[in-house]
Amino acid sequence: MPREIEPSLNEKQFVLQALQEKFRLDGRQFDQYRPLELTFGDQYGVADVAFGKTKILAKASAEVTVPYADRPLDGVFAIATELSPMASPAFEVNRPTETEVLLSRLLEKTVRRSGALDTESLCLVAGQKCWSIRVDVHVLSHDGNLIDTACFAVVAALRHFRKPDTSVEGGILTVYTPAEREPVPLSWLHSPFCVTWSFYGDRGEIAVLDATWTEEQIRVASCTISLNRHGEICQISKLGGTPVEAVALLQCTSIALTKAKDFSVFLDKKLAEDTKKRNIGGFMAELRSENDR
Amino acid sequence: MPVTILAPKAMRQDYGQADKQNISDDSDDADSSNGGAELDYAELAKADAEGHTHKRPRIAGGDFEIVTPGEVITDDPQWMRGHGTYVAAGTTSIISSVAGTITRTNKLLSVRPLRARYTPEVGDLVVGRIVEVQAKRWRVDVGATQLASLPLSAINLPGGILRKRTETDELQIRTFFAEGDLLVAEVQQLFQDGGAVLHTRSLKYGKLRNGMFVAVSGMGGGGGVVRSRRQVWTLEAASGGGPIDVVLGVNGYVWISKHVETPEGLVEKTSGITNLDESVSATMYSSQNDRIGPETMREIARIRGVVTALVDNGLRVDEDMVMRGYHEAVEMAMVSSVGADDIYLGGERGEQLAAVLTAV
Amino acid sequence: MPLDTSAYSLALLRVDGRRWNELRRMHAQIRTQAAADGSSYLEMGHTKVMCVVTGPSEPGPRRSAVGASGGTGVGGGSGEAAQAEVAVSIVIAGFSSVDRKRTARGDKRILEMQSTISNALAGSLHTHLYPHSAINISLHVLSQDGSLLAALINAATLACVDAGIPMTDYVAACTAGSTSTYAAGDEAADPLLDLNQQEEQELPGLTVATLGESDRVAVLVCESRVQVSRLEGMLAVAVDGCKQVREILDRVVRDKGRRMVQEGTIEKGVGVNDMEID
Repeated sequence: MPREIEPSLNEKQFVLQALQEKFRLDGRQFDQYRPLELTFGDQYGVADVAFGKTKILAKASAEVTVPYADRPLDGVFAIATELSPMASPAFEVNRPTETEVLLSRLLEKTVRRSGALDTESLCLVAGQKCWSIRVDVHVLSHDGNLIDTACFAVVAALRHFRKPDTSVEGGILTVYTPAEREPVPLSWLHSPFCVTWSFYGDRGEIAVLDATWTEEQIRVASCTISLNRHGEICQISKLGGTPVEAVALLQCTSIALTKAKDFSVFLDKKLAEDTKKRNIGGFMAELRSENDR
Repeated sequence: MPVTILAPKAMRQDYGQADKQNISDDSDDADSSNGGAELDYAELAKADAEGHTHKRPRIAGGDFEIVTPGEVITDDPQWMRGHGTYVAAGTTSIISSVAGTITRTNKLLSVRPLRARYTPEVGDLVVGRIVEVQAKRWRVDVGATQLASLPLSAINLPGGILRKRTETDELQIRTFFAEGDLLVAEVQQLFQDGGAVLHTRSLKYGKLRNGMFVAVSGMGGGGGVVRSRRQVWTLEAASGGGPIDVVLGVNGYVWISKHVETPEGLVEKTSGITNLDESVSATMYSSQNDRIGPETMREIARIRGVVTALVDNGLRVDEDMVMRGYHEAVEMAMVSSVGADDIYLGGERGEQLAAVLTAV
Repeated sequence: MPLDTSAYSLALLRVDGRRWNELRRMHAQIRTQAAADGSSYLEMGHTKVMCVVTGPSEPGPRRSAVGASGGTGVGGGSGEAAQAEVAVSIVIAGFSSVDRKRTARGDKRILEMQSTISNALAGSLHTHLYPHSAINISLHVLSQDGSLLAALINAATLACVDAGIPMTDYVAACTAGSTSTYAAGDEAADPLLDLNQQEEQELPGLTVATLGESDRVAVLVCESRVQVSRLEGMLAVAVDGCKQVREILDRVVRDKGRRMVQEGTIEKGVGVNDMEID
């Protein structure tokens, strides 16, 4: 496995010194994200998110399956992450690296365990049929902060997603095609967003948001906080590294909350724009007898 | 920046009214809420102003002076820090990084850990096991943090003590030492990173055979072998066991074997350098054991029992202790019903042995 | 089985009779395994774990397993050559919890815990003193009753102290929870210290590990939904609990050291106070 090339000692010192002088190499503030770009695909449930040069594509899909025996009333919801060599030569197919394990655990905790998606609404026939929702996360380009980007992409994809409408009559389950009935959105309860802090310095006193890959390589600790706009923490993980003052972590959390609210507003706006675009003319347009020909 | 973690607020007052019987609980809990997570802001703020490590009152264990990781040993800048300590950034206080006892050499303060891996020092006599054979050197496990290396050039080559090594020697490197072989050697030099280089360029050193290996903890604290004047000696075993060699490697590896005539002995007999070379080369790298009588084997096993009993009971292992322990063990066997064949020294018998040795 | 929290608001006692700021009984031993470089056994209530440390020693042929710091982890830093690698493996016994089930080999939850412990210890251990070597920490879970990660961190710290590996300070861990559920915005919720299994399943909680007696947090893991306003109280209680845990761990080490001095296994040290420069 080709190891990730590490920055040289000089390079590290340069970045660190700059940070100590309150200066980031790309001129951002410490608590500033890189420009966020979000584009939805033509299909429902495809979201392409980019924070600067980090680019992640998430695609949600649904199929009808049998629910797990121990949870007959719940649907199946899975998030699959794949870090392919496309993003970085250090990633190998079929061999999860530590980064991948931690990323998938974080998404799992943030989105799935926090109950963002109402899995009970995915149940079609108790114990027999349910929807299986799957989100595939593909890292297209890796320039640091995969976690925040991936989380945003997953949430965006799921909120954009429409599953085929169904009905159950007399024990017969009917799944309608989009032509028959307009697909319906998922029953979505809240939108959690990850905010990752990177810490620098001997005592972790410098905290930086949205680290680039170089910054990520030289950080001494990191802490990912997942929140929704209601001010609920869904998950926090500071998995070791240089210890950081408890008070600093509390401050990080409150800043993270404002960021999560910003993300929430941004996503709502983008979703509204997309809906508008898909629905030009609205109901009246569909009723018109003329067409473009 | 002072800590502003809020103390949990006082408990609710409303429940008591709901049920009058709870009033007694009420007062109880009021006491307990004092004991919890209320941080002493004033103290913390002060500590922050002074620097981050606030000096804590010495709680060290009375006369024994055990220090544990994170404990400030001294704030006095006149001391120098040695092994087992560190100086926190931006302060002068010397803080212990291991659990152990303080030692000092003039101005140097160091902490000797209760137990640690062996750290090689130049001149140490060690017993090691070959784990890897490379092109021009062997890698030897000596119980340290890294494998020691034994260069081909640092062994006695057969056919002449001071012979230059040749390519033929390189090709047949496994005929000298192969994986799993035990050897006794001396630490010749240390690398910067703590790795050791060994040599066996003396007739005292070399491959080990005709005996058994025992691993106990070595230097670094916590009982086991200690550095002493003599690490290798021959003893005359009781009840017809014949002479037995004991090699106490400083690294805690012990070798107990039947004594064979040393090459020095041969020198006297043959009185010729050339003959010596041949006789040495014949046996030096042999992997065949000589015939060992059952009595000798029994006594070797008894010495092994003594060594493990010493370690189990937290006593140091050196020549004096082993010899006294051995004589005691022989006596214990005499009075036992089985007689001289009773070599068991575990459990209660080991404790008994240790008690006798510490009593003196 | 849902946790009956109704009793709490009446008597302020938890299911096992503790008050909000009480730890469970904690018992620890070091040097339990003669063959290991360092070993420990730790009980936090009914959570029981064992730890064996081997090393620092020459790293084995298999390298860069998940959970080894030094690679992508935050604790490792530059390469394996310059500093020792801290590799952690966790074995959860099948009989450790109520339902007897085998844990899958590549369970991501375990991998995450391994990585957490490895990075947390790498932050405290002076790994730079041992280049080209590996410290292998093997943890065995014998019984689970909540606060598993905290117990594992504590056991690993103790074993590293026993192995004589230099470190900045103890990494002590414990958990804290809150009596409120995430939905309730009730301001009257109390923080709770040291959650047991039942509380851990029902209430929001977090695991905190701090370095020594400072307020510096090495590990902060929260896996449940909780209001931001709850965090501060929970964190304060947990940090305080960590200090208590540190005292307990320290006492274990001191007692062992004192006994060894008494038995004459190690030489007596010199007192700092009676030291004078010649």
